[in-house]
Amino acid sequence: MILNVAKIICAEQWRYWLRTKVAATVLLLGAMLTIAALVVNAFHIDEAAHTRDHLQTEAEQRFEAQPDKHPHRMVHYGHYVFRAPTPLSVIEPGVDTYTGNAIFLEGHRQNSAMFAEQRQSAGLTRFSSLTPSFLALVLAPLFIILIGYGSVSREREAGTLTLLLSQGTTRWQLLLGKLLALITASSLFLLPLLLACLYVAFSNESALVVILFCLSYVVYFLLWATVVTACSAIFEKGSVSFTVLVVIWMSACVLLPRLGSSVATNIAPSIGKLEADFKVEEKLRSLGDGHDVNDPAFKKLKEDLLAKYNVDSVDDLPVNFRGIVAQYSEGRQAKVLNEFAETRMSEELEQAQIARQFGWLSPTVAVRSISTILAGTSLETHHRFLREAETLRLEFVQALNKVHAEKLDYKLDINRNASEEAADKAVVGADNWAILAEFDFKPEAGSTRISNALIYFIQLLLWMGLTALLLQAAVRRLNP
Amino acid sequence: MQTNSVICADALTVCVDDRTLLDNLNFNVGKGEVFALLGGNGAGKSTTLKTFLGLMKASSGSATVLGHNASTQPNQVQKSVAYLPESVTLYGHLSGVENIRYFLSVAGVDKSDDDMFAALRKVALQEDSWNKALSNYSKGMRQKTAIALALLRNAPVLFLDEPTSGLDPAAIDEFNALVSELAAGGATIFMVTHDVYGACQVAHRIVLLSNGKLTGSFERAGDTPIDTEAVHAAFAGRNV
Repeated sequence: MILNVAKIICAEQWRYWLRTKVAATVLLLGAMLTIAALVVNAFHIDEAAHTRDHLQTEAEQRFEAQPDKHPHRMVHYGHYVFRAPTPLSVIEPGVDTYTGNAIFLEGHRQNSAMFAEQRQSAGLTRFSSLTPSFLALVLAPLFIILIGYGSVSREREAGTLTLLLSQGTTRWQLLLGKLLALITASSLFLLPLLLACLYVAFSNESALVVILFCLSYVVYFLLWATVVTACSAIFEKGSVSFTVLVVIWMSACVLLPRLGSSVATNIAPSIGKLEADFKVEEKLRSLGDGHDVNDPAFKKLKEDLLAKYNVDSVDDLPVNFRGIVAQYSEGRQAKVLNEFAETRMSEELEQAQIARQFGWLSPTVAVRSISTILAGTSLETHHRFLREAETLRLEFVQALNKVHAEKLDYKLDINRNASEEAADKAVVGADNWAILAEFDFKPEAGSTRISNALIYFIQLLLWMGLTALLLQAAVRRLNP
Repeated sequence: MQTNSVICADALTVCVDDRTLLDNLNFNVGKGEVFALLGGNGAGKSTTLKTFLGLMKASSGSATVLGHNASTQPNQVQKSVAYLPESVTLYGHLSGVENIRYFLSVAGVDKSDDDMFAALRKVALQEDSWNKALSNYSKGMRQKTAIALALLRNAPVLFLDEPTSGLDPAAIDEFNALVSELAAGGATIFMVTHDVYGACQVAHRIVLLSNGKLTGSFERAGDTPIDTEAVHAAFAGRNV
């Protein structure tokens, strides 16, 4: 009986929305925006995935197709690695939008990722931010407020609430009916997103991850529909409930996430990129110049090597001393670079984790954390990409340095600048370029991502409990 | 408390915060009786009505309708009564017929279209307006729609809140005739009003309410309406 009456009230609310042009327009606009964002993003990501696949293959082919060259020139010729977007990034691009998805790998340095969406877009065109997750997490609640803030207060202000309750309709039935209507209206925004998830479920993604991803958004929409219905019931006037709801929206969707970032950077400050780069350069300089075999930094290496091979001069070594120095120097540089990179990543992660604690204060932050972690577009996944790219970088640079040490004669090498002819002789064959390991970056396993997101699901559970209490309070306070 | 009473206030007291809105009310309304609670603004008429409808709770004493305590069994009370609000507040975006259909469905009352049309004819609502949006109705037309809804509820008890307020004299006469007809058919009618003349015309009994307390009572003797002058004097005297 409770549900029957609730369904009748829900149907009537829908009839009101459809006959009131403003409400119908808001619903239509919201649904169209969601679909547009999904379609645009899906095309964009699909194109990006194909482009990255193509570019990765082309980069490998171009590297291997280089003619006979000095191996160190190949170290600086470099190589690109690309990260293919995860299936759920169609909905949640996460940090990919800011961090970039391609890295140029070369000797002696760790380059940042590039081709970030936000860096490519012009300063004034913010449409690139209109991702489906942004729409669902930030704009959809505003649409829910616009269509739902007056759902109960309208009845009170018009006087129909007294008549409704005097017909034997209970307060629970009334609020349940209004809530049901708002939930079904919200599903207009949610449905395209869920359909996209269904499509993703058939791609190379864990079904459980997709289900939990959808569930977090469904719960988020339920939370907002409940809060809007409850506020509409608690406050006597529609204008008051609208004002209160907009304040709640501003706090949850705009201010608290920003505050989270600010607090994180204050609690766990990190040095700027420029300052960090200077420090890295300073430290690297102290390690010696790997291009100069006479640098005092390699004196001991030289002595050890001469002793090992029992010779008096580097000219008599069975290996190219310049190649050995390059190998040695690259190894030490990589260690320093990794130390700095790990420090920077741990600082970034600490900041991200502090910002995510704001999920206890805002459900938007909680769902955003779940969404990025499950979609494989979180900071943790980006850091894995950087680490895997660095492993590949060091492997291919050291492989070239090995070729340098073992396959290029030392005398030819040191005389390479004497003449054009000498330069032509100081090369190794192009068959030595087949050293690139296949790079196929995959995000963490589904189970790892789920376990990483667990704490944020607990945040969401807390919000469910709080909104249930709010609804109960609204039922108690609902008076004509 | 009379055992055959349909509506009964027994030491009914309603307090909100520190204010006493109704103070120890005692009365009974029998089957087929038209009972008018007369009072000025802020006298407590609407509070009394809301308490009997189960929309406000008694602080002490009781308000019962057909033996159901309105504070503890509001649903049973609401299922057996029909309520006509002061400013008839139906949905402007729905037609008269749609309004009636909606309110009947939430009340769980199943009526055919023929029953609905018969009720609308009985209250004399022009047929060409039945399917027009209520936002185009006059106050009298809205009143008739609400009365048709009350009739269709087949409720043995009707609560009317200022039923003739804003109606023209012809509509008031039509309304009074309808109330008398319903009462003659066995319906118990409880109305709150500040319209002395209208109450005297239709009520079997008038009770005066002032500052939440009952201050006087007048009863009809046979077919002779209650003396308007006497009620007016008592009413005005208490309010001057």
